[in-house]
Amino acid sequence: MIKLQNVEKVYRTSSIETLALNNINIDVKKGEFVSIMGPSGCGKSTLLNIIGLLDAPSKGTIEIDGLKVEKYHDKELAHLRNQKLGFIFQSFHLINDLSVVDNVEIPLLYRESNAKQRRELAEEALVKVGLSNRMKHFPKQLSGGQKQRVAIARAIVGKPEIILADEPTGNLDSAMGNEIISILQNLNENGATIVMVTHDDAMAKRTHRLIRLFDGTQVL
Amino acid sequence: MIRHLFKLIWNKKKTHSLLIIEIWASFLVLFGLATLITFNVKNYLEPLGFAYENVWAINLSNNQDTLAVAEKVQTIFQSVKGFPEVESLSRMSDAYPFSQSNNSRTVKYKNSDVQMGVVFADENLSKTINIPLIAGKWYRNKDSVGKYIPVVINKMAEGALFDNQPAVGKVLKDYDGKAVWVVAGVVDYYKDKGEFMLNKPMMFELLKADQIYNKTLVIRVKPGTDAVFEAKLVKAITGIAKGWSTEIVYLTDARQKQHNITLIPVIIFLIICSFLLINVALGLFGILNLSIARRRGEIGLRRAMGATEGSVTAQFLGEIWVLATFSLILGLLFAVQFPLMNVFDIAGGVYITAILIAIVIIFLIVTLCAWYPSRQASRIHPAIALHED
Repeated sequence: MIKLQNVEKVYRTSSIETLALNNINIDVKKGEFVSIMGPSGCGKSTLLNIIGLLDAPSKGTIEIDGLKVEKYHDKELAHLRNQKLGFIFQSFHLINDLSVVDNVEIPLLYRESNAKQRRELAEEALVKVGLSNRMKHFPKQLSGGQKQRVAIARAIVGKPEIILADEPTGNLDSAMGNEIISILQNLNENGATIVMVTHDDAMAKRTHRLIRLFDGTQVL
Repeated sequence: MIRHLFKLIWNKKKTHSLLIIEIWASFLVLFGLATLITFNVKNYLEPLGFAYENVWAINLSNNQDTLAVAEKVQTIFQSVKGFPEVESLSRMSDAYPFSQSNNSRTVKYKNSDVQMGVVFADENLSKTINIPLIAGKWYRNKDSVGKYIPVVINKMAEGALFDNQPAVGKVLKDYDGKAVWVVAGVVDYYKDKGEFMLNKPMMFELLKADQIYNKTLVIRVKPGTDAVFEAKLVKAITGIAKGWSTEIVYLTDARQKQHNITLIPVIIFLIICSFLLINVALGLFGILNLSIARRRGEIGLRRAMGATEGSVTAQFLGEIWVLATFSLILGLLFAVQFPLMNVFDIAGGVYITAILIAIVIIFLIVTLCAWYPSRQASRIHPAIALHED
């Protein structure tokens, strides 16, 4: 489902060259739940951004669902992100001026759909994460756990095959964190391929496989 | 997406209230300016109704001399007429073309009651300043022996008094209901205060020889006639009427003065408005730049969710258009009262045109101000924007 071969990422400034990722080879099968771990600054988020087509590698190839994306332009990449990928972030990235249901609808704004369809899909996604009673609320009225559930609803509303989660439990207490992992596990059991960056060993143990990075190099 | 943008802006209406007020105020100022310009342009595009090239007005003032004024005016008239440089000559009231003087009166016909500009002029005026008639004829001196005073009216007066029915031969009454005038002819336009003057009902009344207070002579001179003849003319007049003062005005100069009276306030208003709009535009530009800097996380998120660079640009442009639309709706509630209530007696079409111009300019300004920040927003790298937030 996700295939990275010899991926390298170098950040260059006028005076410094930083190797963020070095020779990464990953093959995530359809339906897998993979976690990426490593110390801060080891390149976890960079790797997730590259998998999520938010950043381009300096070297190497990426395949998403059999599609080689090296030569894709902005429009094609955006289309692929919209259709195939769902994102969950540590800091939720909810838009405070939109209600919960409107936040969830956002990915659907960038594909062919009418308002009624969008509303139905958003409500369906919110029911899945147990927030059907908070649809008209605004993000400021929600707890951290509820915000992350809204973010998960937003990630799954477009029914993507791949979910990329960047430390989804990082800003939550352990009880809330467990709740979020349970939701992700449930999504995985229903067929979603999930790649999750985490610092938490306990959370990583609940995934199928662990990829460990150290100083930009894949050590496991 | 439009629904989404309206929702986004509506939910942030408190944050945007000052911006909405700023655009609303700009719209009103622009509406005022556009009304002024549209009104004047519309007037300018209508014919003047007479010729002013090579036409001079001679203002005679008898000062303290009260003896045989009418005879002296007649003598001057004949003397001026005798110069070979003079092609045509007419005597009229001091409301000669492009002058600062005005005369008006109320004229009635059946149930119509119209306030008209009045010009007293002899039988030669139409020839001297070339006023074409569209119906009837210009009055003659011999018409003065009739029961009613012959007059020529313009088409605007014909429309107002007779509902565009033929006016020639109809008898008009004065304010007290007394039958006084008979319509001899109709001219199309006569905008004696210049091209920028609103075309309004006008009436020319036959000036009789004994009406001594109306002693302005309007002459058409041969092309190329210059100040040498002007001096000769003044000398001849002062030779006939000692103690009188004579002022000769070229109608081309008087027309320019009238234009200045109209154009200078418009230009001043235009300059003030331009400064105001530049300030509004700079303010808007600054606010949008700041807003985009604060919303980098949202931009990153939208890119991650499938927004292209183009859709991010379109979103920010769309937001400012929605904001402008809110402001314009508020502004329109105010502006439409002008045509509905016929304020300043200006044609509704002028206000409607001004509203459309103001709307187009507002959208143009907000688009120009939002374009660069929106393009900047679209170029924000999504991975960096998401990481920073």
